[in-house]
Amino acid sequence: MTTDQPRKTATDIPVVVLEHLTKQYGSFTALNDLTLTLNAGQILGLIGPNGAGKTTAIKILVGLIRPTSGTAKIDGVDCVSDSARIKRLVGYMPDTFGSYDNMRVREYLDFFGATFGIAPRARAKRIGEVMETTGTEYMKDRFVESLSHGMQQRVGLARTLLHDPKVLILDEPVNGLDPQARIEMRDLLIQLAKRGKTLLVTSHILPELTRICDRVAIMTHGKLRAFGTVEEIGRQVSQQRTIESHLVSADQVSIAANIIRQAIEPGADVVEAPAEAIVRFRTARPESELGEVLAQLIQKGIRVTQFREVQTDLEEAFMSFTRPQQGIVATPVPAGGQTHA
Amino acid sequence: MLKAMVKRELTTLMRRRRMMALQCGLVALFAVLVAIRWPTDARMALTGSRSQQVFQLFGYGLLATLLLIMPVFPATSIVREKKQGTLALLLNTPLGPWRIFFGKLTAVLALSGIILVMSLPAASACYAMGGLSLYDDIAKVYQVLIVAALEYAVLGLLVSTYSNSIDSAVRLTYGLVLGLSVMTLGPHYFFQGTKGYLAEIGDVLYSLSPFAAMMSLTGVGDVGSKGLITKTELLGRFTVTSLIVSVIASIWSVSRLNHTIFDQARSQGTISDDQTQSVRFFRRLFFLVDPQRRSSNISSFANPITVKEFRCRRFGRLHWLLRLVAICAVLSLGLTYATTAGTFDWGVETIGGIMVVMQVALLALITPSLSAGLLSSERESRGWQLLQTTPMSITRIVWGKLLSVILPLMLILCATLPGYVVMVYIEPGMKLQVERVIICLAAMAVFAMLLSAAVGSLFKRTAAATAAAYGALLSICALPLLVWLGRDAPFGHKTVEAALSVNPIAAALSVIRMPGFQDYSLIPANWWFLGIGSITSLLILLAQTYRISRPQ
Repeated sequence: MTTDQPRKTATDIPVVVLEHLTKQYGSFTALNDLTLTLNAGQILGLIGPNGAGKTTAIKILVGLIRPTSGTAKIDGVDCVSDSARIKRLVGYMPDTFGSYDNMRVREYLDFFGATFGIAPRARAKRIGEVMETTGTEYMKDRFVESLSHGMQQRVGLARTLLHDPKVLILDEPVNGLDPQARIEMRDLLIQLAKRGKTLLVTSHILPELTRICDRVAIMTHGKLRAFGTVEEIGRQVSQQRTIESHLVSADQVSIAANIIRQAIEPGADVVEAPAEAIVRFRTARPESELGEVLAQLIQKGIRVTQFREVQTDLEEAFMSFTRPQQGIVATPVPAGGQTHA
Repeated sequence: MLKAMVKRELTTLMRRRRMMALQCGLVALFAVLVAIRWPTDARMALTGSRSQQVFQLFGYGLLATLLLIMPVFPATSIVREKKQGTLALLLNTPLGPWRIFFGKLTAVLALSGIILVMSLPAASACYAMGGLSLYDDIAKVYQVLIVAALEYAVLGLLVSTYSNSIDSAVRLTYGLVLGLSVMTLGPHYFFQGTKGYLAEIGDVLYSLSPFAAMMSLTGVGDVGSKGLITKTELLGRFTVTSLIVSVIASIWSVSRLNHTIFDQARSQGTISDDQTQSVRFFRRLFFLVDPQRRSSNISSFANPITVKEFRCRRFGRLHWLLRLVAICAVLSLGLTYATTAGTFDWGVETIGGIMVVMQVALLALITPSLSAGLLSSERESRGWQLLQTTPMSITRIVWGKLLSVILPLMLILCATLPGYVVMVYIEPGMKLQVERVIICLAAMAVFAMLLSAAVGSLFKRTAAATAAAYGALLSICALPLLVWLGRDAPFGHKTVEAALSVNPIAAALSVIRMPGFQDYSLIPANWWFLGIGSITSLLILLAQTYRISRPQ
């Protein structure tokens, strides 16, 4: 699943709604006026450097921290005043596992199932289901402290799913996993979103978020810097698009480059790659004018096989928002001008 | 290279604020001990009895302080490095196991040395009061203290090499120290003056205790001697046995400091239910309640926290408790039978005393280890954060946790009931005494549980919580006994009675009319103290639980 193919299960019903959420510790502002909405069945990737306020926002949502001002609601339930209901609506997986000594995986899940008041028979069935979903069945008799990190992450996710919550809040679920385990975890999260769960995921591994998230929110210093799809954020970062024109013959590369130089703004960056038979250029022109460029190429006998926009990497976007001194000014205005998914 | 190791260890230990507070507290305590008996007028007793009385108290106080404070440092030293991953780094350096071991040992001994050096001004004050010999009194007392510090430091390090968790290392080391220093006095007390192998075993065990060596030095030979005088050179025997134990434990510890300490396969989670029928049969026979059986789902009626606490414990699992209870029950019945059959001429009071001591020792040893980490272990393992996201209320969580301590304690208390029943059958007049003793023990169990839980809740780390809980409980149990040791001089009957009225052990022993305690009337003052103490501890525990569980 990629952002190019939004899941059909995503709806327009807002499930997670944060409005002007602020958290202050004395004079230090950990979270500054955060406003965003996440719809049912969507996956939101929350990214930002250490100390950006991601965990603070998450902890407010699960009722572990009280905001200084603003509101946080999940499925219409206030996270501050009705934390008892929130606990049943949300499955929270912190960045640390929360292990108990001498406890087997099945006992661990049984315990957390019991804390949610699930009746023994239903609990046994549910444990079987979540173990099957998370692929943890084979480790049911292993002691939780003896599990590898990847296994613990899976058991943690199984625990989160026990009470069948509507919203899953996962803090760094792929952190420390090997590539194979990361792929498996990614597939698992997509599978859960397909089942109608709404997911809020934080991660430092940005390519993972690019692959699974419908929306991405970038935070620095407690503020939301950008919010939208990966493409929207990428566009906001560069203000210019990178376009690639793939040609049939490498011989036509120089001619095509000259045509493009004349068609777009003067001094724009146009790169010739004869070995690949590609001309790559950056422009701030809108989509309607880019059609004109393609039309001129075809008119002048250039045989074009592909004419497409190259997506700005999320990593690139992240770096530009978190390092404003590098020339790209971080803007407090979210991508697309709105913070609603 | 050794210097670097010692420097690092000492810097880690000494840079804590608590260490500063501890040192200031100790200096104040030693000063108070001397100030109590410092001459207030111009007249001086030429016999020097006053300074000898102070020095008796001072010696025991110093030994008790050392045994309460010191074990936590060697116990956590290696296992903490193992958990943090720095032991692997150390073993990868050219230091070698001997240097690592001696570096750690030197640091712990340096810390003990600091404690002893801080006591020197108070010891000098005693010496200045006259009546004390520099070599025969002061130097020998310090010899006992140094040898005890060395022995327990080495044993703590050995335990640390075997432990997989910091708190279990602390528990085991305190248990070992308590066993070697106090429990070894028991057999000698009951079998002295008799002949036979039991008396000989009692004699050997007696020489392992630093308290015995201290008694022989400070002239408090009557504490456990029933008027008999032993001619054994206890200081020499204690020094030799301690040095032998230290050398063996050092070699043993060093032999553990290599790759094998990490060379352990992860548990594959073997389950008895998947084994052959014969294996299942033998496991059931051996364990009674097999810890490797596949557990059933938590019942709807049970508190999940209680069940979780039981499942998380290694030592607290049911098969261990059943064994403990069985041993207690058999011992108490055996003792009662032996007295009735005329094997021992001890009298019902003494038998009752043994049973009380046995039970109190179990309570003092087990209760802090069960209840000190109720909150801190959750906070340390990050389980508390997960519990906070479940719909369970704070009161249900706390009650579930307390219940997981109450049930084993009830089993321990019930273990000696058959012995008491037989005792009442032999001597029906003792019914009231036995009832009162049982109330005393139950009150002590509740108090020990709540005190340990409350003290432990103030710490984030289980090891610190366990050490502090042991320290608090043993202080209440041991410090009044120091006053009792000076019951004829320097302290009068009223002072001793007031001091003992806070001590649950003394209260139970006075009720059962144990020789040495029969003259003190400690009930109901002790019950009041335990009641108020328990309620205060419960309030602290609830307040602390509320504090850590409310949203920040």
